[in-house]
Amino acid sequence: MIGHILKLIWNKKGNNSLLIIEIFLSFLVLFAVLSYVIYNTDRLNLPTGFDTENRWLIYLDRNDKDMDSLANAQMRINLKNELLAMSNIESVGFSFSVSPYSNGTWSSSYDDLGFEIGSRFCKVDIDFEKTMNINVVKGRWFDETDINPTYEPMIVNEFFLNKYFPDVNMLDSIIPFGGDKKIIGVVDDYRYNGVFEEEQSTTFFFQPYTNKDAQIVYLKLSPGTPKSFEEDVSKTVESITKSTSFVIQDLQAMESRNSRQTWIPMIALLSISGFLCINVALGLFGVLWYNINNRRSEIGLRRALGASRPGIAAQFTGEVLVLTLLAIVIGVFFAIQVPLLKLIDIPQIIFYKSMAFSALIILVIVTICALYPSGQASRIQPAFALHED
Amino acid sequence: MISLDQVSKVYRTKTIETTALNNINLEVPKGEFLSIMGPSGCGKSTLLNIIGLLDEPSHGQVTIAGQQVQKYASKTTSRFRNEKLGFIFQSFHLIPDLRVIDNVELPLLYRNVSSKERRRLSEEALESVGLKNRMSHFPNQLSGGQKQRVAIARAIVGKPQIILADEPTGNLDSVMGNDVMDILLDLNKKGETTIVMVTHDENMARKTNRLVRLYDGSQIK
Ligand SMILES: Nc1ncnc2c1ncn2[C@@H]1O[C@H](COP(=O)(O)OP(=O)(O)OP(=O)(O)O)[C@@H](O)[C@H]1O
Ligand SMILES: [Mg+2]
Repeated sequence: MIGHILKLIWNKKGNNSLLIIEIFLSFLVLFAVLSYVIYNTDRLNLPTGFDTENRWLIYLDRNDKDMDSLANAQMRINLKNELLAMSNIESVGFSFSVSPYSNGTWSSSYDDLGFEIGSRFCKVDIDFEKTMNINVVKGRWFDETDINPTYEPMIVNEFFLNKYFPDVNMLDSIIPFGGDKKIIGVVDDYRYNGVFEEEQSTTFFFQPYTNKDAQIVYLKLSPGTPKSFEEDVSKTVESITKSTSFVIQDLQAMESRNSRQTWIPMIALLSISGFLCINVALGLFGVLWYNINNRRSEIGLRRALGASRPGIAAQFTGEVLVLTLLAIVIGVFFAIQVPLLKLIDIPQIIFYKSMAFSALIILVIVTICALYPSGQASRIQPAFALHED
Repeated sequence: MISLDQVSKVYRTKTIETTALNNINLEVPKGEFLSIMGPSGCGKSTLLNIIGLLDEPSHGQVTIAGQQVQKYASKTTSRFRNEKLGFIFQSFHLIPDLRVIDNVELPLLYRNVSSKERRRLSEEALESVGLKNRMSHFPNQLSGGQKQRVAIARAIVGKPQIILADEPTGNLDSVMGNDVMDILLDLNKKGETTIVMVTHDENMARKTNRLVRLYDGSQIK
C-alpha cells in the first residue's frame, strides 16, 4: 500500500509540491522559533546561585566627597553596624560595582604560556555569602584570614573548573590569573543576570567592605518586611553617608523586570508561530477537503473493488502523512546544517531537540487535519459516488 | 449464482420518495450472460448496484454465490466484493493519476498478493484485452475504447466469478463497442464468467443469453 501511495503522490507531484513546500517552510519557522525558545528555557531549572526574595540593594553615592580612606572605612563600618541594628535586617554584604541584573560585567582573561583562562569576576566581602545565600560546594568562602594573604584568594564556579581544569582537584591550587591566585572555594553558580543567562566561568575576589570601591550594599531582610521599611533604611543611609544620591532597589522586582525582557519576545514569537500553525492547519484541511471531494468517484471505485471503509480512511491519511514526512525530511536536511556546521555557538543539542519537537508538532497537526476529511471520505456511499458523473 | 428475492429499493430525500426498484425476483445461473434493458431512470443501475453489494436494498434478500448478504458496510462484504465481483462502468472510472498497469492492479491491492505477482497478473489481464503495449500510459492518453478495455482488464484481473457491467459500450462508437462486447462474450464462453450487463443497445443485448426488461422499477414479464 505504501508503494501505491508513493506512486499516487509521485504522479501528482505538481499538486503535491505546493503542500510539501508549505509544510517544509512551517517546519523551518518552527525549528527557528523552537530553537530560540529551547535555548532560553533550557536553563530555567538550573540554580542561579543566589536568592532574590527579601533582598534589597543599596547603590551608594559614588562621589566620596574628599573623605580620606580611613574616614571612608569608618563610615562603612558605621553604616553596616547601624543597618544590622535595624529590626528587619538579618545580614549586610557588599560588592563592588557589578550587581545582579545590572547587565554590567567585568571580565578578564590571562594567557600563561598558551594556556588561556578567561572569566568574569565580582569583588565581594565576607558577609556577601550569607546575605545572598551563595552555595559553596567545596572549600570555603572568604574569611578574616584572607585580609592579608600570601596568595590572593579566589572562589570559582563549577563551570570554571569543568572548563579549564576538568577531572583535577584544584582546591588550594595556585593558578596564574593576573598574578598567582589561590583557589580556596568552589560555588555551584552565580548567574547574576538571571535564569536565562548561560552558565559561564565566574570568579569571586575578595574585597573588604571598608574599601571605598565596595559601592553596593546587599540587605537580607526578615520575611514579611513591609515596603514601608524602605523609608527607615533610607533615613539611616542618609544620616551616615551624608548623601541623598543613593538608590534602594528590591532585587525580586529587578529580577522580574529582567526576565520580562526575554519572556516578551519569546511569547510574541510563540504566538506568531502558533498563528502560523493554525493557518497551515486550516490550509491543509481545505486542501484535503477539496482533494477528497475531487476524488469521490475514485473513492467509490476503490470501495467497489474491495477497499473497506477503514481502508479508505487509512489511504487518505497515509497519503498526507507520507507527504508530510517527505517535507520534514527535506526540512531536516536544511535544519541539520545548523548544528553540523556549528553555525551558531550554543549547545548543539538544542537544535536536535528543536528539530524533534518541530517534526512532532507538524505531524500532530497534520494528523488532526487529516483524520476528519479521511473519515468523511470513508463514509462516502460507493453507489452514490460512482453514479455522479 | 445470483438470486434476488422480492428486492425493492426506495430512495428517500427530504421532499420526495423514489421507488427505484419494485419487488424484483431474479435468478442468474452460473455462466449466464444476462442483459438488462429499459428506459432511462427505470432502475437498471440501481439493480446492478444491489447485485454488486454497493447498495443496500430497502426490502428483500440478495444471495450471491451461495451467500446471503447481511452487513453491507462490513469488511467481510468488502472482501467478498473484491474476490467474487468485477465491475465495469459506462464512464470507465479509471484513476487519472495512475498509469494503466497500476489501474489494472487495483483490486489485487486489497488482497494479499505480492507486488511481483500483482504485476504479472495485471500484465496478463492487459494482454487478454490487447493493451499490453499501453501499460505505462496514463488514462488520458488513451481512446475511449482503450479505456474501457483497461477497465475490463481491471475487472478480470482478480478472476472474479461474476462481472457486472453498467452500459460498458454506452460511451463508445459501434466499432469500439463491438470490440468490448467481443471481449465480454469471450470471457463468458471461455472463462465461464457470469455476466450481468446493462445496455441501451438492442444489438448488444441480442448477443447475450437472456434479456430482462425493466420499466419504472418493475420487471416486465
Ligand atoms: N441516490 C439516489 N437518491 C435518490 N434517487 C435516486 C438515487 N439514485 C437513483 N435514484 C433514482 O432512482 C431511479 C433509478 O435510477 P437508476 O440510476 O437506477 O436509473 P437507470 O435505469 O440506471 O437510468 P440510466 O439509463 O439513465 O442510467 C431514478 O428515478 C433516479 O432518479
Ligand atoms: Mg444507469
